[in-house]
Amino acid sequence: MQPKPDTALGGSGRGTALVARTWQRLGVLAALVLLVIAASFLSHRFLTVPNLLNVLRQVSIVGILAIGMTFVILARGIDLSVGSILGIAVVLFAGSMDSRGMIVSIPLGMAAAALAGLVNGVGVAYGGLPPFIMTLGMLSFARGLAFIYTGGTPIPINNENFYALGNGYLAGIPIPALILIAALIVSAFVLQLTPFGRSVYAIGSNEEAARLSGVPVKVYTTAVYVISGFLSGLAGLVYASQLSIGTPIAGQGYELDAIAAVVVGGTSLFGGKGSVAGTFLGTLIIGVLANILNLTGVDPFVQQLFKGALIVVAVFIMSRSKGS
Amino acid sequence: MPGEVHAIVGENGAGKSTLIKILGGVYQPDGGQLVVDGEARRFRSPREALAAGVVVIHQELSLAPSLSAEENIFLGRFPRNAFGVVDRGLMRARTRQVFEQLGVTVAPQDTVGTLSIAQQQMVEIAKAISVDARILVLDEPTAVLDENRVEILFMTIDRLRANGLGLLFISHHLEEIFRIADKVTVLRDGRVAGSANVAEIDQDWLVARMIGRNFAHHEPHARKVRQPALSIRNLSVPGEISDITLTVSEGEIVGLAGLVGAGRTELARAVLGLSRHVSGAIEVFGRPARIRNPNAAARLGIAYVTEDRKAQGLLPNRSVRENATIANLRRFARAGVLRLAMEACYVRDMVRRLDVRLASPSAEIRTLSGGNQQKVLIGRALAIEPRVLLLDEPTRGVDIGAKQEIYSLIESLVAEGMAVMLISSDMEEILRLSDRIVVLRGGRIAATLSRAEASETAIMRAAALAA
Repeated sequence: MQPKPDTALGGSGRGTALVARTWQRLGVLAALVLLVIAASFLSHRFLTVPNLLNVLRQVSIVGILAIGMTFVILARGIDLSVGSILGIAVVLFAGSMDSRGMIVSIPLGMAAAALAGLVNGVGVAYGGLPPFIMTLGMLSFARGLAFIYTGGTPIPINNENFYALGNGYLAGIPIPALILIAALIVSAFVLQLTPFGRSVYAIGSNEEAARLSGVPVKVYTTAVYVISGFLSGLAGLVYASQLSIGTPIAGQGYELDAIAAVVVGGTSLFGGKGSVAGTFLGTLIIGVLANILNLTGVDPFVQQLFKGALIVVAVFIMSRSKGS
Repeated sequence: MPGEVHAIVGENGAGKSTLIKILGGVYQPDGGQLVVDGEARRFRSPREALAAGVVVIHQELSLAPSLSAEENIFLGRFPRNAFGVVDRGLMRARTRQVFEQLGVTVAPQDTVGTLSIAQQQMVEIAKAISVDARILVLDEPTAVLDENRVEILFMTIDRLRANGLGLLFISHHLEEIFRIADKVTVLRDGRVAGSANVAEIDQDWLVARMIGRNFAHHEPHARKVRQPALSIRNLSVPGEISDITLTVSEGEIVGLAGLVGAGRTELARAVLGLSRHVSGAIEVFGRPARIRNPNAAARLGIAYVTEDRKAQGLLPNRSVRENATIANLRRFARAGVLRLAMEACYVRDMVRRLDVRLASPSAEIRTLSGGNQQKVLIGRALAIEPRVLLLDEPTRGVDIGAKQEIYSLIESLVAEGMAVMLISSDMEEILRLSDRIVVLRGGRIAATLSRAEASETAIMRAAALAA
């Protein structure tokens, strides 16, 4: 081990924090760039516009979930219920689309998703329940509601406009990818440039200090889960329209993919550190990896190994690089 | 040396922590020698330091709160009986023995998390003794203790010294050096700035070497007290404070003295709306106020700087800038959007005004020294443009240079009309700064002393003795 200088003083410290911060962001970016370079060597089909757009479309659902998850994790929480909330939104979209049309159906599903998030938030912020437990309960509860609502059988959707939402293109870009990017931009703006966003970081960094500083900790903590619920509904919208069917098992296990994307993107599970930009890069890393494994014909069972190893290795590297 | 207490003093950043980390095997030295029992040693890990009999007791104790005292003491080396099962009887007997030797009154089976900080410290010292430590390094052990407890700690140190243990004692409090140490070494900028037998020197000698310059002891100017800013009437919180009535006016400092647990911080928390079941009345600038939370307090112009920087103050992994502005983000927002340039400008001014020494405002606050962290937290309180400032132990864990700077800052704020309630266990501090001193005991006001009446004895008498 090398001797470490005392970082608390001394002129050499100028800008080191900045370097460390950019490394955290660039490290993830560098990993993505390396992966893309490697992928383009492994398959000549990788670096083509249709394939890249396909990757974007494929990651859009988990990408949107992961953005909501980033809010929650930044505030030092966790939301295990995003997959189930997506599920309940999906069956509500499917159940009401053909009878009432998009105008009613979409707000209905989104509102239900946000409401589930609100229940999570109130349980955590006002009920004092550990986020893990509260959202684990919601994971089961919301999934149960989805099964009850559908009676266990998928509901088909026959609406061409709605189908276009998940499968169409706008200016040559898949609409789901545009939705993801829009959610990303709005979220980045909220987190970086609003008092609420700042406060989310503060709550995750030291909740008690935030409270003493006058941050409305309970309200904002609740809001974070509502955002996560709402974005789960948005992801459900993409899901339902891509498949044009409302299955009650929609989104099962997605919470883990979303957490993986957040963590690979450099956001600390201990709160207060990270960004949605990082989460987006993390989503892309996982998406590109899956894509190249598909293109090179790797057994889907083996693909799981790669994904698991990626998560562990990424976090290991990150924990090393921010040591100083 | 065995049987000797050697004190290490120096401002924050003078190199004390680095020295301790080298002794404890956490850092490796670039050069030089470490001689233990006449033998040059090099500790590549904390384990090696431990094996050589060097035990460091850090400011943040490293006990497992959910385990009992005896389990903590024998953690990782539980005595086993013939069946390979932990021999609780032996463990308890040995723990009792060590506790007796130290004069500790803790029961071996007590859960550590339920003990007071002072008792936990004793458990940690007992742990060191039980591993046959030859050299005990105490890193600012008194910073977390009130005066009675400090005296108990010193009595323990006296015993250890008599038993032939070598002790290194790190402290900010110069009086403590004279009370407990045989020798003292002053560090400044990572070098030895002086070393002497304590018997042969005085405080001025130490201070001169610590700061490398002279600082003037200056008496505060006569203050112009104006209208009452914060009036508290018959304020009570069951089990914490009862029937407290006091007024802080613009342009004055009211000191709140008392032992730890006397209800000083509890009073501040009640004013900030952080306690339930508060009875009594609070008036802010003559208007009755119902304060439900710190946010409401802030809107009335009341700001609070916590005594517990780490647990309640710092956003450790956020930047100095974000730490400074978190209490009043609205001030830097237009139409709900933060204006970063405006914020940066405020932080720049704050850094200059409070003389915060840092690499960059985007540096994480935890990389700053204690004194600079404290200045940023004061800056955070000032960002709400308060008219009443509640300062809770504002110079705890702060080096002597920064302390003076914080004093001048408080005095200049008061000169501009700020009303200050100063909670402090530092006698010199409270006597120097306060216009009046209110002494609390057991949650009640035990005495109110004017500047003329106030003295260390008068405060201690009121704080510690029944009327």
